[in-house]
Amino acid sequence: MLFSSIPFLFYFLPITIFLYFICPKVLKNALLAIVSFIFYAWGEPRYVVIMIVAVAASYLFGLLTELHRGKWLSKLWLILALAVGFGMLCYFKYADFFISNFNGITGLSVPLLNVALPIGISFYTFQLTSYNIDVYRGDTKAQKNPIDLAAYISFFPQLIAGPIVRYTDIEKQLKHRTHTFEKIAYGSRRFIIGLSKKILIANALGELCDIFKATNDNSILFFWLYGIAFSLHIYFDFSGYSDMAIGLGSIFGFEFIENFNYPYISRSVTEFWRRWHMSLGSWFRDYVYIPLGGNRVSKLKFIRNIFIVWMFTGFWHGAAWNFIAWGLFFAVFLLLEKFLLKKLLDKSHIISRVYLLFLVMVSFILFNATDMKDAIITIGGLFGYGGHPIISTEFIYYLRSFAVIIVIAAIGATSLPKMLTLKLMGSKVKIISYLEPVFLALLLIMCTAYLVDGSFNPFLYFRF
Amino acid sequence: MKAKNIITVILLCAILGGLSIYAYVKPQTKYSYAERRTLDTFPELSIKTLLSGDFMSEFENYTLDQFPFRDTFRGIKTFSEEYIFNKKDNNDIYNVDGYLSEMVYPLDYKMLDYASNKFKNIKDTYFPDSDSIYLTIVPDKNYFLAEKNGYLNVDYDKMFAYMQEKNDYMKYIDITPTLDINDYYRTDTHWKQEMLPQTAEMITETMGIDISNEYTEVQVEQPFYGVHCGHYGLQVKPDTISYLTNDIIDEFNVSIYNEFKEPVESTVYNMDKLNAEDPYDMFLSGVVGLITIENPNATTDKELVVFRDSFGASISPLLAQGYAKTTLIDLRMLNSVMLSDPDLQDSINFENSDILFMYSTIVLNTSTSLK
Repeated sequence: MLFSSIPFLFYFLPITIFLYFICPKVLKNALLAIVSFIFYAWGEPRYVVIMIVAVAASYLFGLLTELHRGKWLSKLWLILALAVGFGMLCYFKYADFFISNFNGITGLSVPLLNVALPIGISFYTFQLTSYNIDVYRGDTKAQKNPIDLAAYISFFPQLIAGPIVRYTDIEKQLKHRTHTFEKIAYGSRRFIIGLSKKILIANALGELCDIFKATNDNSILFFWLYGIAFSLHIYFDFSGYSDMAIGLGSIFGFEFIENFNYPYISRSVTEFWRRWHMSLGSWFRDYVYIPLGGNRVSKLKFIRNIFIVWMFTGFWHGAAWNFIAWGLFFAVFLLLEKFLLKKLLDKSHIISRVYLLFLVMVSFILFNATDMKDAIITIGGLFGYGGHPIISTEFIYYLRSFAVIIVIAAIGATSLPKMLTLKLMGSKVKIISYLEPVFLALLLIMCTAYLVDGSFNPFLYFRF
Repeated sequence: MKAKNIITVILLCAILGGLSIYAYVKPQTKYSYAERRTLDTFPELSIKTLLSGDFMSEFENYTLDQFPFRDTFRGIKTFSEEYIFNKKDNNDIYNVDGYLSEMVYPLDYKMLDYASNKFKNIKDTYFPDSDSIYLTIVPDKNYFLAEKNGYLNVDYDKMFAYMQEKNDYMKYIDITPTLDINDYYRTDTHWKQEMLPQTAEMITETMGIDISNEYTEVQVEQPFYGVHCGHYGLQVKPDTISYLTNDIIDEFNVSIYNEFKEPVESTVYNMDKLNAEDPYDMFLSGVVGLITIENPNATTDKELVVFRDSFGASISPLLAQGYAKTTLIDLRMLNSVMLSDPDLQDSINFENSDILFMYSTIVLNTSTSLK
């Protein structure tokens, strides 16, 4: 079930909130686990079993790891926990990638598995494995209550698209969390903002990207428009979802970590990744990069560590070569910045920002390509590859049609709206502050209107 | 701050909760006139549909179709697109000075080829030796609105030239000089019959036929909300339907072949259709595969066969004045292979008839609907 859908907004969510707040405190986590499983089962009922197995294994191995702490068995339980988690991830997400590459290299025809990817498996696998590693390291105690662990893993706000909430961050909240009007109001506000980012901006920009992909009237400027639109689309889509998750978490009394911090105002790739998908970045830092030695090793090993981490970061996003290339693309520029570019970028705000935005745009074209060939053609198209004209009729039309949304998105991707809001809130004219609920209500109505219009499906014959 | 939080929560709960509760209790709507389609109702709930996921996907469709104030919300979306985000079109529909139009884009040469091949095939099969075959193309509203207002549009000159070239055995009748945007309904795809006498005259003149140009215009009382009203989403001023009549048209004997076999007596203007979902269907009863119009006052024995789409329904009564019999064939409803059906042989006479292919640019650009 998607947050940006009528069944979620007007059926699942009101019922869940109602049940949650009338439910006795002792049963709240159980309720959250049950509704989360229903939420998950909505999309693909069979895969609930996969998640239950993953949670059960993690729970069991967590207890055993703690039981044998300090002994070799402890490591064995951890390895088994990781094997189950990553094994399932590999089977569902990566098996066909490996098979097709194996077939390509050997010329054999090993049949593909063609299994559907369980929704959110990349996210909850990382949460489960971080839990087991933390228990092994002694950073946290094993959770004795399976319902609490199930509630943590399956908790629907962060289940499908993160943020990757660490068990250590949420452990205390599972047992002791407060529910205040302030938190509910903050959560509602955050949720509506995220919903609006997704429905009003990301979806519109996604529509523009789809138009570009389908066009027969291409031009160099249309490639640039696509690159800009997709970069904004993916930010508003993903950060919108994170906002909704954080907001929903707050409504249910949880405080989730932030996942985005205006990444497009960064002045280097290094800074960008401190602001983009922060929960994933910190996961790789703590569970891959630092265990490999981080930067406290020889230069050569440091370079190796960067490439390993970024290859896996790319691969985590998708089982295709363009995702691996996407990760390695960032590795190259992170290293370049570390050894060459840092001083240069520090000199000019303008050059560093243009540099970052251009690199990120190119990276997301690579990210969204159907394969490496498509990526090369599209990135080449930015510079005239393919013999396209500079400008085309469709480019002009769609630029004019989407100009307002692009401008709103570009401004919205900076901290300017937040600064402006804070200034208005601090204004002596109190009425401005009270306009916020009205504004949020209007946004909710607009989002609903866009969702309802999504069902508009005229019987085309009657056009003629 | 505390009060603001309370207002925020109450307001949002009221919207979510209020609409949720109303969605549960409101009676189901069966049909959408805006979209001309049946709406989804509550899906079958069983273990099988739950496990297969069918229930979930159908439930989502149901919630969308049955959402409270659905058309109002669609209007809000159109308003946002047009006035907040300044989008040029909404679901391909745009509004220029009250004229609603759906973009026709891009030009699809494959579709033009398909239509041309279909016409050629019909010609070779049914009237291979005829030299009285004519082609006219009805421009859609975009011809007058799109380019000058910055909307995507097909290159009409190229389209017309291509169709003439591909159908060079037909005599092409260019009717565009007789038309302008005022000749079309603001809220509908079609043209207005009361504005077509000059166009009809141009067509019949080219075919060497004289028709009366004296008519009485009768205006229908009820407002006409064309097909674009529903698509557009926002309230717009309705059109009015008028129809033309005179002594010759009044005497027409109209037969429609709903099942393509047994003719049913009908009228030129079917007033019952004014209350149906598409009032434009009042002209020759709307979408019908085969219609014949007999003209007892004809001064000639000559017959006319018109291969046409719905634009032909309103202009054909004017053309029919110059012929003893006019046969209208809608290839979207009547498969061209059925024209050789023995039961229809008596109804359709191609020999020594004028043959007119009259299709709109919209149908030609999506011509797979022609059977």
